[in-house]
Amino acid sequence: MKTKSSYDFYLILATAVVLFVISVVCIYGMFYFKLALVHQMPSAMQVQYMDRINTIISPFLICLILLLGICVPKRLLPTMWLNRFAVTLIVVAGIVSFCWGIKTSLIVVLIASLVLQLLVLVMALAGSQSLNFEKKGYWVRLGSSLLHLGLILFILDLFFHENQTLHLPLFWITTAATVAGMIFCFYADTVNRLVRRKPQADDHSEKNQVCF
Amino acid sequence: MDPILPITIFSLAGSCLMAALLVIAGIIGISGFINLLRSEPVWQRAGSVLLVVINVVFVAGFLWICWFHYQIYSHFSLELPANLAGWLNRQLMLMNSHAAYAFPLYDQANPPRYAIPLWIENEKYYFWYMCYSIMALIAHCRIKNYRFRAVLHLILSVQVAILFFSADPFSKPLPMFFDEIRPWIEAGQAPMERVRLFMSMYPKMIFYYNAQYMWFHPPMLFMAYACISLTFVSSVFMLFRREPAIELEGYVFAKLGYFLLTLGLLLGYPWALKAWGPNWWWDPKICSSLMMWAVFSTYLHTRLYLSRTGMWYFSSILGILCFLSMIFTFLTSYYFPGEHTFQ
Repeated sequence: MKTKSSYDFYLILATAVVLFVISVVCIYGMFYFKLALVHQMPSAMQVQYMDRINTIISPFLICLILLLGICVPKRLLPTMWLNRFAVTLIVVAGIVSFCWGIKTSLIVVLIASLVLQLLVLVMALAGSQSLNFEKKGYWVRLGSSLLHLGLILFILDLFFHENQTLHLPLFWITTAATVAGMIFCFYADTVNRLVRRKPQADDHSEKNQVCF
Repeated sequence: MDPILPITIFSLAGSCLMAALLVIAGIIGISGFINLLRSEPVWQRAGSVLLVVINVVFVAGFLWICWFHYQIYSHFSLELPANLAGWLNRQLMLMNSHAAYAFPLYDQANPPRYAIPLWIENEKYYFWYMCYSIMALIAHCRIKNYRFRAVLHLILSVQVAILFFSADPFSKPLPMFFDEIRPWIEAGQAPMERVRLFMSMYPKMIFYYNAQYMWFHPPMLFMAYACISLTFVSSVFMLFRREPAIELEGYVFAKLGYFLLTLGLLLGYPWALKAWGPNWWWDPKICSSLMMWAVFSTYLHTRLYLSRTGMWYFSSILGILCFLSMIFTFLTSYYFPGEHTFQ
């Protein structure tokens, strides 16, 4: 039976593969932009170019969002339940997509991820030991939770980019969560010293701390 | 320009600093090359002293650039005749009524001035390499491996050579900026011609030179580039030797680099919305920056599994790939057209 650690490992590998494909599409987009002289085209044709690349990259972004949706509950659930959750999430996303369109289904996945990530954050904030993290340590866990919350919020924010009132405030919340997450995660020992929190037995030295 | 701004004195003193940098970097580069080939370290103490001296010269040059920018701010403004101010403000208010982001109105008592950031045109290379030099000094003090130090020195000497021969910020300071403002300085223009020039220069002043994001977005990225260079050196070492201290040093700079890169990229987002509107998706520079961020994220994730078979090498290859994607990202500004182009 696969351990939680190997499950994490394969999820990371799958994410790396999807990111690699997205990178290849980016390179294609860059050379297309250069060779087709997109910057000299009228605005309508530039929009057409953006739509075309958006269409090519969409399936991979959908994969990335689904992977994110599966990755988030790995902190909360044991492997068997994680498998069930992953299957349920994909089925629900498929049904919502069929009934209300892909965009709605992705928003559903992201909102589900957001709710779960908020739960993880609250538990990490409370110092819960039942969360499944690769590394231990209060600030590392809190930082990792904030960092991933920032990522989910950022992707969610992109869906609302046409909403003038929501877009930028949400963006700044994203930035604050990400920055706080990176500081807590990368400099856990320093933060610990600054706030004079009593180190836990499972806290590791910052030098060896690895995030995510 | 000289009657208005002290360009000649800036260039003369700056060129002396650049020559000093080249000589010291040349010596440290030769010493690095020799150390890399030898089985025993030589001139370690001298190398440390020279590295400190290079840093002092770099910082002195940077302060000199600060002084020059202050001179531009104090001695040059887009001042218009008083009788045109009211008319101009009515035009600006009309433009503001249709725009998402408003232009500040013209103030006769305090005409607009250029607060130019310290990392535009060739100065960006200077800032980037100065950051690398400071970080190389920190790494040099912490890691005693003489070959690691030698590679740090070699990279620094290559950077100074690039700076001296093709990106000297002192010999011809801010050429693009001065080309833009030259027509303004030329005497004998009719008032309406003056207004036309004002309207052609004012938007770039507000949304580019004087943009507050300019003080955060580019310097954070250049500091991140310097960190990635350090991570690259440690990653190359990881391929040949399992030395945890060097790997850890690379990770210290990777953490700082990732922090600066992520925050720098994020801070570019609201600026892009403000300056360009929504039509910048799939801009080549943004594509390549996202790729670099993705590779960097993957590198940090793989570090979780360093103890697994093969992951040590995979992680080091990703560290090297990070550096290559950084070079690629930087060069896209020269090769690919788009909003970030240097062409």
